[in-house]
Amino acid sequence: MRSNLLLGTLAVLFFVPFVLLALLAVGEGWRFPAALPPAYSLAAVRGLLGPGTDLLAGLGRSLLLAGTVAVVATAGGFGLARAIARSAWARHWEVASYLPYALPPVLLAVLIQPFIIRLHLSGSVGGVLLGLLLMALPFATLLLRSFWTRQATEYEQLARTLGCTPGQALRQVLLPLAWPLLRTALFQTFLLAWFDFGLTNVLSVGKVRTLTVQVFAYVGEANAPLAAVASLLLLLPPALLLRLNRAALLRKNP
Amino acid sequence: MPFRLPKLLLGSYGLLVVGLPLAGLAYALLGSVGLAGPLAAGCTGRYWLALGHDTSLLYAALYSAAVAGAVLLLSVGLALALVLGAQASLRRGPLLGLLYVPLLMPTLVMAFYLFQLLSRAGWLARVSYQAGLTGRLEDFPELVQDAAGVGIVLAQVLLTFPFLALLFQAIYQESRLDDYYQLTRTLGASAGQFRRRVALPLLLRRAAPTLLLSAVATLGAYDIPLLLGRPYPQMLSVYLTTRLQRFDLRELPAAYLAGFVVAGGLLVLLVLALRTIRRHAL
Amino acid sequence: MKKIFFLLLSAATLLAGCGTAPNEARTPQQTLAQSWPQIENKGKNQPVTLVMWQGDPLINQYMNTYVKPEVQRRYGIELQLVAGQGAQLVQTLAAEQQANQPSEADMVWINGETFYQLRQVDALLGPFVEKLPNARLLDLQNPFINTDFQQPIAGMECPWGNVQFNIIYDSARVAQPPRSFAELPAYLKAHPGQFTIPNEFTGMTLLKSWMIALSGNPALFRGKFDEAVYKKWSGELWRVINTSKPYFWKQGQTFPEQLALLHQLFANGEVAFTFSNNDAEVDNKVNQKVFPATARAYVPLPGTIQNAHYLGVVRGAQHPEAALLVINFLISPEAQLKKMDPNVWGDHTVLNLAALPASQRQQFERLPSRRYAPRRAAIQGRALPEPDPEYMTRLFKDFRTYIIESHAVPAS
Repeated sequence: MRSNLLLGTLAVLFFVPFVLLALLAVGEGWRFPAALPPAYSLAAVRGLLGPGTDLLAGLGRSLLLAGTVAVVATAGGFGLARAIARSAWARHWEVASYLPYALPPVLLAVLIQPFIIRLHLSGSVGGVLLGLLLMALPFATLLLRSFWTRQATEYEQLARTLGCTPGQALRQVLLPLAWPLLRTALFQTFLLAWFDFGLTNVLSVGKVRTLTVQVFAYVGEANAPLAAVASLLLLLPPALLLRLNRAALLRKNP
Repeated sequence: MPFRLPKLLLGSYGLLVVGLPLAGLAYALLGSVGLAGPLAAGCTGRYWLALGHDTSLLYAALYSAAVAGAVLLLSVGLALALVLGAQASLRRGPLLGLLYVPLLMPTLVMAFYLFQLLSRAGWLARVSYQAGLTGRLEDFPELVQDAAGVGIVLAQVLLTFPFLALLFQAIYQESRLDDYYQLTRTLGASAGQFRRRVALPLLLRRAAPTLLLSAVATLGAYDIPLLLGRPYPQMLSVYLTTRLQRFDLRELPAAYLAGFVVAGGLLVLLVLALRTIRRHAL
Repeated sequence: MKKIFFLLLSAATLLAGCGTAPNEARTPQQTLAQSWPQIENKGKNQPVTLVMWQGDPLINQYMNTYVKPEVQRRYGIELQLVAGQGAQLVQTLAAEQQANQPSEADMVWINGETFYQLRQVDALLGPFVEKLPNARLLDLQNPFINTDFQQPIAGMECPWGNVQFNIIYDSARVAQPPRSFAELPAYLKAHPGQFTIPNEFTGMTLLKSWMIALSGNPALFRGKFDEAVYKKWSGELWRVINTSKPYFWKQGQTFPEQLALLHQLFANGEVAFTFSNNDAEVDNKVNQKVFPATARAYVPLPGTIQNAHYLGVVRGAQHPEAALLVINFLISPEAQLKKMDPNVWGDHTVLNLAALPASQRQQFERLPSRRYAPRRAAIQGRALPEPDPEYMTRLFKDFRTYIIESHAVPAS
């Protein structure tokens, strides 16, 4: 009973945004004090999906970029966390991992841009990837750092003692053990890259036109229906991904 | 794993996470003394000297700290209550999946949504007007662009607490706290004692670095305070952007200086916080 | 750790401090020395990147569905539109220049202080305007077009459109809007909570117009920035606004940081006034059903600022010839006619209609008229020129100090 109440409250809390955004997206001339739109229209949807935009290609670019960042950051973070755990300088590496976060993202973009330009990466996917990894890699490393406790190391050693190759120990012991954290890292780093507008737009001088870069311009603008359509466009692909990966994401621990 | 790989990995990692931000910081430092940036006019200590008279940066820092503190407190409280109080529901049923939903919202969308929901002509105000609860626009409470930053805190908590709940849950599972729970129960401890004495400290300790990161992320939040906050007091990122994008290029060194001071301050804060976490670690 | 820091610091100094000799294929002078047929030859079948503000769906649609296919069809040019403006744009172009690298941008949509700043960092190619065949059709005798914030454009940017600041109000809520800036304080006192000032570009244009109105003498604001004039009349402005502030939206305790936010407050019905730098925007927004059909626009007495917006070519552009071809097309009678239609964009033309053949002139005259905004002819007499950019820079700074942060205004 209590658990149902909790579920209900959270469901309402989390789904109201979608309802309101959907209403705003198709509502026409909706203003105070009407509780519901007086008329409905698909003009905003058509306006954003209409000719001239390359949203579909942008969607592909976004998926590719965010997917790459998620996989590289999570895999790299897993390995880095292990390397850090075994390093004599573990403390220092941990502190160093926090360094990118000492600069608020809006500041970071402006300050590293001159260097990205000098590395001949400005305006390219490479520069964007570097910028996004700068945010995502330490995040995944720090998140996964908590996995490499003495316990995990002991499990690994135990597996090796029992005759596993390093690969087997990784696949059959460590990865399943780390899976709850790994999936969080994958999901979070994916979203981090998926939603990024500032770094991507600055470092690529607007040229890497991800879905987010294309529709973000509308979200903060005066046209509420258009902003709502744009918001939904950003929300739906990861929501779909979440739905598809539900089984994987929510797999019960063995 | 080949012997060389970890070193190589760590080396390039260092170059990325230490080299690039420090290079950026150095650029800001050079900019603040007039040696880098557009219209750099040559070495000057003018902007550093003027820093003493400028209280606006301090004010923005204090306001951001207050907001970040409130967000962290509320989010951790909610997430812990969920993970410790509703563990059974989290393990079965759709609750865990539900927690992923708010994570799908980028900060700008969250800000836009809350503005449309909570402003004085927003959806809630319209519903309350139709229900006869409020008569005029001004009767509706001020929830966004308010003096206390209620709108900002609300938006940040909505985004942060589900993430923390998922994190705590992951740690809970991975640390096999359930086994410990059975064990402590067998040893005669109550469920409450288990939560307070075993689960809570372990969760907080293991999540501390991520909690710190999330607090720092709130300190540097931009979209949400821009849409839901006031121009005064401002949160740090909004303050820095305002300064970096002023119409006057001659003000850029002062903006670089502010950026340098903020980044330096956050760095010191991070190191101190990490030291504290370390002291309380296992 | 410390060692690394100093190493990086010195590396950064090197990177930031010294430049190497330019190694571009051709200098800006060489680009501009070419004849138009040569430019046409070289510019064809090239990509062009235009950095522009992309927040208005109608403007984007004009660019995407009309300009892009047209330049593709005429010259085989692939036009790429990217988002960017203001200080961020200036910093990017300056950083590219300091790194001695060709720019990722070819063309920029700018005016006023961005033009001023880009000239300060020498990031614009030119003078180029007289190279364009269509430039002879431009209304370059018009001071509202040939001067950008008191700066002669000097061929360094090409006029693209011309607009005038106006007040937008909801006629369903406001029976009789204040006809002049002088009537505004009394109106606000009688109707509290409906009005606020956005703390950005458009809001600053409002403040400039208001300050000029208070002085009663627009001639004071011609030419270079005058400290005494500014001090006197801005002080007066802050006194007037501070007196009216309790009657602003949220009692003047806060101000919207963006115009879009104010537009949304207006669209939702929370305030009854908003502003635009484009006199046709109200038609454009009502047509999109964003603003209520009862929204109207007007220009208060004694007048408001009229200015133009421009297209510039980036000095380090990789495809400057193609950029020139695109600009020449954008100021062609066809492109200007299309852009001026209130159903398309509603941006006023920068062409001298008298220089056009009669048939083309008639097309301009027969454009569907504005329904909610005042006619151009009716407000031309109420147009004030933009003062020096420094006025805006100072107003922006002082608005924060004396109004937002409520510090005491020093007695002048």
